[in-house]
Amino acid sequence: MRPHKKHLDFELNLVSFIDLLSVCICFLLITAVWLNVGSVNVKQAVGGQSQAETEKKPMMWVMLGENGDLTLDLKEAGHVPADLRKMKLVGDSGKFNFDSLAKILAQLKEKEPNLRTALIQPKAQTPYEDIIDLMDQFKKSGMADLGIVPL
Amino acid sequence: MVQSVLKQTALQSQLAAASVLRPENGKGKRNMAADLLLTALIDAFSILVIFLLMNFSSTGDILFINKGVELPKAAKAEVLERNPVVKIEENKIFLENQSIGTGDALFQSLLELRKKFSGDRPGEEFPGIVTVQADRRIKYEFLNQVVVACAQAGFSDIRFAVLAK
Repeated sequence: MRPHKKHLDFELNLVSFIDLLSVCICFLLITAVWLNVGSVNVKQAVGGQSQAETEKKPMMWVMLGENGDLTLDLKEAGHVPADLRKMKLVGDSGKFNFDSLAKILAQLKEKEPNLRTALIQPKAQTPYEDIIDLMDQFKKSGMADLGIVPL
Repeated sequence: MVQSVLKQTALQSQLAAASVLRPENGKGKRNMAADLLLTALIDAFSILVIFLLMNFSSTGDILFINKGVELPKAAKAEVLERNPVVKIEENKIFLENQSIGTGDALFQSLLELRKKFSGDRPGEEFPGIVTVQADRRIKYEFLNQVVVACAQAGFSDIRFAVLAK
């Protein structure tokens, strides 16, 4: 007698699986956060410690001028040639010239790898957005410790 | 081949059996069961679930951004943590969503926060972190009073809230 052939085709009940996926999608869509909010961390520049307590480390002062002009002033940076210690970057049609700034920062980091601190000194009429853009550019160039100077 | 297997399985299923109707003229059976391919649907659902899970934020809402307020954008933004929030909206200063008049009042309120922290957690080092949420168009002149008040009250670590680019 021939053995009874067992059917290999079977029906997988997908309804419960589709239900589960639908519930997951609804929940995730409702709870989704579409705005990705982060933070730019800044240390207050002036005050806190006395000058004697402050560790001497390479530092850059960045003074914001009119029409996107920037003045870079390096302190405690012995490895950087004197002509590179103080520079003025002319703005590009009222905005900061980020390309030139990135090039100069790369050049300075090459000469002084320990240069990680920048203190930003805005003017009273500087828009907040410009300050954040500038900080972002410094962070991109490897300046991790940023400070902001009060007026 | 695939079609025949599908047809066969559909006919053997309970759904198919229930859907085979005998037409009124009685000339033969007509199969009313449609072979619905669910694979593509499940694929699409799975991709959606994976995408939404990757974007899922478990940190919850830290900031409440009102309509009309635009945060600045930054590419090198760090993860936002829960700290006291100082908000600047329509030339008004808010601390934890409560309106504070000026920079001096903010300084007093921050000092109270600091004292409360010291009272609640004696012996623990004060972190001195504050999150500042401000519209991208405000001038530094206005922001300055917040920066100064925070510094004077011992909140030297300021975190500016930004939108990640």
